Amino acid sequence: MPILETQNLSYVYGENTPFRVQALENVNLSIEKGELVGIIGHTGSGKSTLMQHLNGLVKPSSGKVLLDGADIHASKAATYAARFRVGLCFQYPEYQLFESTVYRDIAFGPRNMGLSKEQVDERVRRAASYLEIRDTWLNKSPFDLSGGEKRRVAIAGVLAMEPEILILDEPTAGLDPRGRAQIASLIENYRVSTGSTILIVSHSMDDVAETATRVLVMDNGAVALSGTVDEVFRDAAALERHGLDVPQITRVFLSLRARGVEVRTDIYTEKQARRELIRLFKKRGVLQ
Amino acid sequence: MIRDITIGQYFPGKSPVHNLDARLKLVLTFVYIVSIFFCKNFVSLGVSLVYLVFAVLLSRISLKLIAKSLKPIVIIVLLTSVLQIFYNDDGTVLFQRGWFEITTGGLIMAVFTSVRIIALVLASSLLTYTTSPTLLTDAIERLFSPLKKIKINVHTIAMMMTIALRFIPLLIDEVDKIMSAQKARGAQLDSGGVLKRGQALVPVFIPLFVNAFTRAYDLAFAMECRCYRGGEGRTRLRVMKFCKRDYAAIAFTAVCLAGIGVSNALLTALI
Repeated sequence: MPILETQNLSYVYGENTPFRVQALENVNLSIEKGELVGIIGHTGSGKSTLMQHLNGLVKPSSGKVLLDGADIHASKAATYAARFRVGLCFQYPEYQLFESTVYRDIAFGPRNMGLSKEQVDERVRRAASYLEIRDTWLNKSPFDLSGGEKRRVAIAGVLAMEPEILILDEPTAGLDPRGRAQIASLIENYRVSTGSTILIVSHSMDDVAETATRVLVMDNGAVALSGTVDEVFRDAAALERHGLDVPQITRVFLSLRARGVEVRTDIYTEKQARRELIRLFKKRGVLQ
Repeated sequence: MIRDITIGQYFPGKSPVHNLDARLKLVLTFVYIVSIFFCKNFVSLGVSLVYLVFAVLLSRISLKLIAKSLKPIVIIVLLTSVLQIFYNDDGTVLFQRGWFEITTGGLIMAVFTSVRIIALVLASSLLTYTTSPTLLTDAIERLFSPLKKIKINVHTIAMMMTIALRFIPLLIDEVDKIMSAQKARGAQLDSGGVLKRGQALVPVFIPLFVNAFTRAYDLAFAMECRCYRGGEGRTRLRVMKFCKRDYAAIAFTAVCLAGIGVSNALLTALI
C-alpha cells in the first residue's frame, strides 16, 4: 500500500473573487515508502499548493489525502498528527528561524510533539548531525549564521520531528553551487540511513536528476508527466511544452548530437556524462 | 483566514467608478461621508442611500465583496444600536420592563446610526476597492500640495503611504507563509486560551519583524541606487486631468446633496 496518496485532489484560491485560481485539478498520486520523488513544474504550476495539502496545512476544495490509507482530514487530531508524520520544509526556510539559539529553534518541532526533555535533546542532536551542524553553533543565535548555515539549521528543525515523509520545497534555491551540492548530499545521506520517503519540489531539473527515483511534472495544477528520471527527461519536447527545461548537462549532449557527434542523449547527471565522454574519447583513440 | 482581509484592497476593473479621477473620488467620498451626517430624516437618508447603491452598482464590484467589507463592523453596529435603544427615551414607549424600556425615539436613532456607520464604511471601501494605491496616494499628494507652503513635506508623507500600502499585501503573504511553516512544525496557532495564543504568535512575529527590517533596508538601498531625492523636480508619467465623466459625477453628487437638503428642509417645514 502506498504510504501517501491523493485522490482527485482539487483546490481553488479566492473562490468568488476576481482573483479566482484553480490551483489544483484532480491530482491523483501515490507515493511508496522509501521513494525519492521529484515534483517539478514552472512557477505557478501548483506544486507548492500540492505540497501544502500533503501534511494537511491546506484543506482541499474537493478530494482526499490519504496517509497510510487514512484520510488526514478525518478529524482535527488526525490532521495535527499528520503534521509530524509528514515534515514540510518550505522554500527559504531560514526566514522562519525565530528562537534565541540554534538549539532551541531545532527543538521547536519536537517540543510541540510533547516529547520528554531527553527525547527532545536526542532528536535535536541527531538532526544536527545529519546536517553537519557543529556543536558550537547550537548555542549561537540563528541570526548570526551565514545564509547556507541558516538553511541547514532550518532544515534540521523539520528533520528533528523525524517525519516518515519529508517534503522539501526548493531546498537548494539561492545557494552557491557548493552549498547546493552539500545540501543535496546531506539529504541523500539522511534518506539512505533512515529509509524515509522524500519529496523534493523544484522548478529545476538539475535538483532532482541525480537522486530521484521518480519524477512528476506538474503543469496547470495537474500532473502532466510521471515516470522514472529516464522516462521523463528523455522527451525534451514534452518538457518544454510544460514550461520546463531538460537538465543543463542533458542540453550539452543534445547539442553535441545536433552537431553530429555520436553520443547518447539520455544523460542527466555528471556521473553519466563522465562515463559517456570517456567512452567517446576511447572510441576516438584520444584516451587509452 | 488571513487572506480574507479586504480592507484597503484594490480590485482592478474598468467601470465608470474605477475610471473617475482619483482626486475627485477622494473628495466625493469625503463630501458624501459628511453629508450622511446631515441627513435628518428617513427621506434624506434614503436619498443618500440611493446615491451609494447607484455608485456600488456602477462600480460592478461583486455584492459578496461589498458584504465582506461590512463583516468587521457588525459588532460595532450592533453595539451602538443597542446603546441607542438603551439611552434614548424620546417618543412613545413601545415596551417596558422595570427600568428597561424601548421607545420609538430610541429605535429611530438606532436605525439612523447603524445606517450611517454602514454607509460610511461602504463608501470608504468603495473608494479603496476601485482606486489603485498608487493613484490614491498620488491624489492625496496633489490635494494636499498647498501644505507645502507651510513647509510640510507632502511628497515624503505620500511616498511613505504608498510604500506602506504596497507592503500590506506583502506582509500579509509573509505572515501566511511563516504561519504555515510554523504550523508545519506543530505550532498550534488557532486553539488554546488567550495567553497560549499570544505565546504561539511569538514564532510568527519575530521572523516577520526581522524580515520587515531587512526589506526596509533593501528598499532604501534600491531607492538610493535609483537616485531617489524626494519629490523635487519629479515629473509624472500619468498626469491627472478632469474629463467629461468627472464633471458628470460632480453634477450627480450635487443633485444628491440638493435632494438631501430639500428633503431635510421640506420635512422640517411640514412637521
